[in-house]
Amino acid sequence: MKYKTTGATTSIHAGGRLASYYWQRTRRNKLAIAGLAFIIFLIFLALFGPFFTMDPTEVNFEEKNLPPIGFSVEKSTYDIETSEFTTTIIPGTWKHPLGTDNKGRDLLAMIISGARISLLVGLIATGMAIILGTIIGVLSAYAGGWVDNALMRFTDIMMTFPFFLLLVLIVFIFGHSLIFIVLAIGLTGWTGTARLIRSESLSLRTREFVTAARAIGARDRRVIFRHLIPNVMSLIIVITTLSIPGVIMAEAALSFIGLGDPTWTSWGIILSAGQHTLDTAWWIAVEPGIMLFLTVLAFNFLGDGLRDAFDPKSNI
Amino acid sequence: MGKTWLRDYLIKRLIYSVIIAWGILTITFILVRAGPSSPADKYLANLTASGQDVAAVVSAIEARYGLDKPLWEQYFSYLGNLFRGNWGWSFSTSMPVMELIKTHWVYSFQLILLSSIFAAILGILIGIYSAVKQYTRTDYTLTFLSFVGISLPNFWLGVMLILLFSVKMGIFKTYYDTTLPLFSLENLKALVLPVMTLGTGMVAGYVRYTRSAMLDNLRKGFVTTARAKGLPERTVIGKHVFRNAMLPLITIIMFDLGSIVFGGAYLTEIVFGIPGLGQVSFNAIFANDYPVVVAVTLIGTLLVLLINLVTDITYTYLDPRIRYD
Repeated sequence: MKYKTTGATTSIHAGGRLASYYWQRTRRNKLAIAGLAFIIFLIFLALFGPFFTMDPTEVNFEEKNLPPIGFSVEKSTYDIETSEFTTTIIPGTWKHPLGTDNKGRDLLAMIISGARISLLVGLIATGMAIILGTIIGVLSAYAGGWVDNALMRFTDIMMTFPFFLLLVLIVFIFGHSLIFIVLAIGLTGWTGTARLIRSESLSLRTREFVTAARAIGARDRRVIFRHLIPNVMSLIIVITTLSIPGVIMAEAALSFIGLGDPTWTSWGIILSAGQHTLDTAWWIAVEPGIMLFLTVLAFNFLGDGLRDAFDPKSNI
Repeated sequence: MGKTWLRDYLIKRLIYSVIIAWGILTITFILVRAGPSSPADKYLANLTASGQDVAAVVSAIEARYGLDKPLWEQYFSYLGNLFRGNWGWSFSTSMPVMELIKTHWVYSFQLILLSSIFAAILGILIGIYSAVKQYTRTDYTLTFLSFVGISLPNFWLGVMLILLFSVKMGIFKTYYDTTLPLFSLENLKALVLPVMTLGTGMVAGYVRYTRSAMLDNLRKGFVTTARAKGLPERTVIGKHVFRNAMLPLITIIMFDLGSIVFGGAYLTEIVFGIPGLGQVSFNAIFANDYPVVVAVTLIGTLLVLLINLVTDITYTYLDPRIRYD
């Protein structure tokens, strides 16, 4: 992930007035609003959906490979007594609106359960990475000297690792439970944020309001929490929104190559199973992918809209 | 002045890269050693399955990998071995890791090379067009499409392309045929879907970068001057604007190679069964073949380091205005 910034940050505090100003600006971007609407829909789906769907782990071989509503498949059965093939056409049923997989599990339930995993991993891991990046960035800018030097060289080293290859290595070494996956993403995804926050903080540090705060005797902690952090908040919000899709995609990719947590039904795992049944049950691979794609797209649109609203000149 | 600063800069940059390389190797060593299971354990899981004496096997493996020695000694022998090109033994394929990599790297290379060429040409052309037509319906459509492109998970795109072109339409094979000679038309045909899979996201990214780099330059004074001189628009865009937009573009494209393309190629190889380094690492994960998984990540990372170094150096030659102190 590469971010560029023009150095013009804007504060979103000031009693909520600015926040509503930026909301007005974001609202003008229709795609951003569509993205936001989809994300809200997805959050509701993940929170409450599982109460209304059937058990996503319930296996029923009688109903395996059923197509989604509006589609039908031909199924040949071999009759031993007459030694004849009979072809029956099986349509999708409302019992399984999105069809079933090769074990007869309900795909709608699986996909809703997958939404939980994707959002959970996406939000928590991104949150970790952003908090870590902000701490390192602010610390680096504020401490300066050898602390800054050491932290930035460490950031350079971590940045050289191709994100996905490092993830594969860490998850392979430490085991692929959901906690380790979240930790691995959180502990490796902070580098871009750290650099951006550092350069923003460096420019903010020399501004008059910081000097003024110092002059009236504000301590370091007050300067950092009352002056630096609130002023980089808009930047943090934009980076967060634009980082979530990458993280969601990384988790799905890990699951896809078999390094996901097998105890949870995630989109990547469904997709990975579906790629082997393309000729008999194409929908198993198609459906979770569409959800993954729409989710990533929604976050990208929202992030882009927010960035434009906060700082039209920047091109992160 | 002149040559001296350049030489000094090159030396500085080189030393810096060596330090980063050392950091990469050290972090990898720490990760492997900090893991809940040692390489011996993973090896063990394979051997005990065949019913051998556990204690004897453990000590034999530990002696073989030097795991019985103190940690600092292991660390230095690890660095020394990597430096001498001794990257360990892959037991799942029964050959040195270096040999394994030598036989498979070319498959990754051809995929990444072809995708990069495809993406650079298409992405830059569309990006220029979009920038020239800024704020028109075409520009909005192209920008929208580039969003779609970067949001498509490439492994899913690969599966969808196989579904459409191989399973439904039967134009391409569902799997990459490894028996084909590398430099043949059949091989090129076999790579069409993989290149589309890896390239789509890259194209979309390049469209966005090119568009914004072009727009940065389109309103500069020298463009107005060029137009005022009466140069045809084609020359203004092609020679004046694009040449200036190219430098930042090259940096971003090179940066992408490490952060996005290597991961994408890894997944693309797995989807299509291309026997490149990603597929090698993928197989090694399931065989618990430790040295191979570590080696593939290390190679990817060291390559990124090398690419960054080369990009930086080329940059200083291409753009005489740049001075590093």
